[in-house]
Amino acid sequence: MSQELTVSAVRSTAEQHRVHVQVDLLAIPLVVLLFAAVFSFQFALLVGDWDYWIDWRDRRWWPLVTPLALTILPAVFSYFLWERLRLPLAATLTILALTAAAWVSRYLNFHLFANFPMNMVWPSAYIGLGLIVDCILLLTGSFFWTGLLGGFAFAVLLYPMNWPLLAPFQVPLELHGTMLTVSDLMGFEYVRTAIPEYVRIIEQSTLRTFGEAVTPLTAVFAGFLNIMNFWFWTWIGYLGSKALWIRKIV
Amino acid sequence: MMNRLISWACAALIVLSSFTVAIESAEAHGERAQMPQLRMRSVHWFDVNVSTVDMQINDIVKVTGSFMPSKYWPEHVQSIEKTAFLNIGVPGPSFVRLDSRVNGVPMIRSTAFMKGERYNFEVTLKARKVGRYHVHPVINVEGTGPIIGPGLWVDVGGDEAAFENSATTLLGQTIDLETYGLRNAAFWSALWFVIGLAWFAYWLSKCPIVVPRFKRVDELGVVNADKIITTTDRRVGFVFLVLTLSLVTGSYMYTQEKWPITTPLQTGKVEVPPLEAESMPLKVRLTDARYRIPGRSFRMELEVTNSGDSPVTVGEFAAGNLRFINSAVLQVTPKDEDDLIAADALRVEGGSVAPGETRTIVVYADDALWETQRMTTMIASPDALVAGLLFFFDANGERYPVEVGGMMIPEFV
Repeated sequence: MSQELTVSAVRSTAEQHRVHVQVDLLAIPLVVLLFAAVFSFQFALLVGDWDYWIDWRDRRWWPLVTPLALTILPAVFSYFLWERLRLPLAATLTILALTAAAWVSRYLNFHLFANFPMNMVWPSAYIGLGLIVDCILLLTGSFFWTGLLGGFAFAVLLYPMNWPLLAPFQVPLELHGTMLTVSDLMGFEYVRTAIPEYVRIIEQSTLRTFGEAVTPLTAVFAGFLNIMNFWFWTWIGYLGSKALWIRKIV
Repeated sequence: MMNRLISWACAALIVLSSFTVAIESAEAHGERAQMPQLRMRSVHWFDVNVSTVDMQINDIVKVTGSFMPSKYWPEHVQSIEKTAFLNIGVPGPSFVRLDSRVNGVPMIRSTAFMKGERYNFEVTLKARKVGRYHVHPVINVEGTGPIIGPGLWVDVGGDEAAFENSATTLLGQTIDLETYGLRNAAFWSALWFVIGLAWFAYWLSKCPIVVPRFKRVDELGVVNADKIITTTDRRVGFVFLVLTLSLVTGSYMYTQEKWPITTPLQTGKVEVPPLEAESMPLKVRLTDARYRIPGRSFRMELEVTNSGDSPVTVGEFAAGNLRFINSAVLQVTPKDEDDLIAADALRVEGGSVAPGETRTIVVYADDALWETQRMTTMIASPDALVAGLLFFFDANGERYPVEVGGMMIPEFV
């Protein structure tokens, strides 16, 4: 009769600590790289030109499309890291990884390879949005409140958070009898053969706006949408963390 | 040993020839990829020229010419009469576009062009990057894509570091468009990076975090898992939340103070009136068009009525950016090695058409260009319609461009 013996490979607390540190050293950089890669791909697909070019960051579409796409991975991974590790870190970390990858990509691909000036293609600032979500999750411990407050603030604050970077590019100037912003002028002068002027999906008229409050209205609308958006993607995170599909396969 | 040397030599040859193929295909940059019937029936470009072919950084080159949207524009392709934009086909911003005009109207925004009307264009470019560029005029048509015109090679030399591009805002500030606003954007981005990294570092400071926290959460269960969060964690979270909200508010207010006057991005369409129609003494009808594949020969039978006071004859046929020249009427030399001109490839049977006369003439455009520029696949078109621009010349050398189009029958033997 054979007897099965279970013997731990770790023989002391210090050794266990070392093993745990080694797991961190391996897992955390891998997770950061994974976040950077997955988020860059997803963001390029769903936001793309709105974040690539300064002459796409308008008052109507950019603040609406961006938070809805930007919330997806922070919400999914927030659920996982909070439920499994009680770490309110996923939103900040995913956006940090995305932003770092974006700066590298804009510099190497857009600036060095494609020759666009860096001031035409810098990535927007979103890291603060991740911080708001993480801090609210930490303080409330609730995905309901995080979605309601954090999801809303995430979309509402996107434009004001970027305004310090963007405002200098929306100063008006004149070119051949036409008023343009500095962004428009750069979009016109720095030739993009595959991106004609009409391709830009930006605000086109003021007829449907409420007075002059285009940006606040867009932001609040985006905020309300983003509450549900955040909850939905948290639910997806919940499904993913249960890994039901793996159990069905294995 | 000898066999091995031969093998290595063969391998090197294959690698080298693959580079050659790659370079050749890169030089073609896609003009030939467009379907021939689209090239023949979208935009007819003519008189395309560049003011200089050899320039230095900061030098100016003007790309000029004319175009006529085809009356035979394909039904299944979104019309140029809706939304279009005059563009320039160069690899990235190797030039900056200082001005762009169609019939004198600035083409900063999009517009619409009418079929069958004639437009003159002028694009002013400033050299920014050193290199050799095939410069094309392009019209981007919404829902259709780029309709590329003839290209000409331009060489740019000099020192890229010396490139200058400035503008003056309506507030009187002169800015360098190459660097303007970058330091500011980098500063705010770096600040957010620091704060984000500080948050990350706070949680990393609890290292090891993955396995111990996973085990602890598992032990405590869903209800009690929050016990893992300490009071310090909550305090730090509160501080970061307040810091973030304060920074957003403060930086927004600071920016409003610093740049009080801004405008939204500008867009819209402008109207470009076509050129006034020149007096046209000719009526031309394409009665028969055949493309003979083995001979790469395009034959057109035309009924021409001349109501002018001078005999006219065909000097040129232009279709899909290819130019077939009747050397008896016109002497044209290619501007460079890729200028798509067949200088002696147009043959006219039936002679010139006298004033007041209606006559049938037959025009042959025979050249390998049909094959090399992949125009022979016009026989694969679902509607077998072709179009092109005929240039008639009278005895005084006056030129009359007339568009002809209609059904084409392929001949296989």
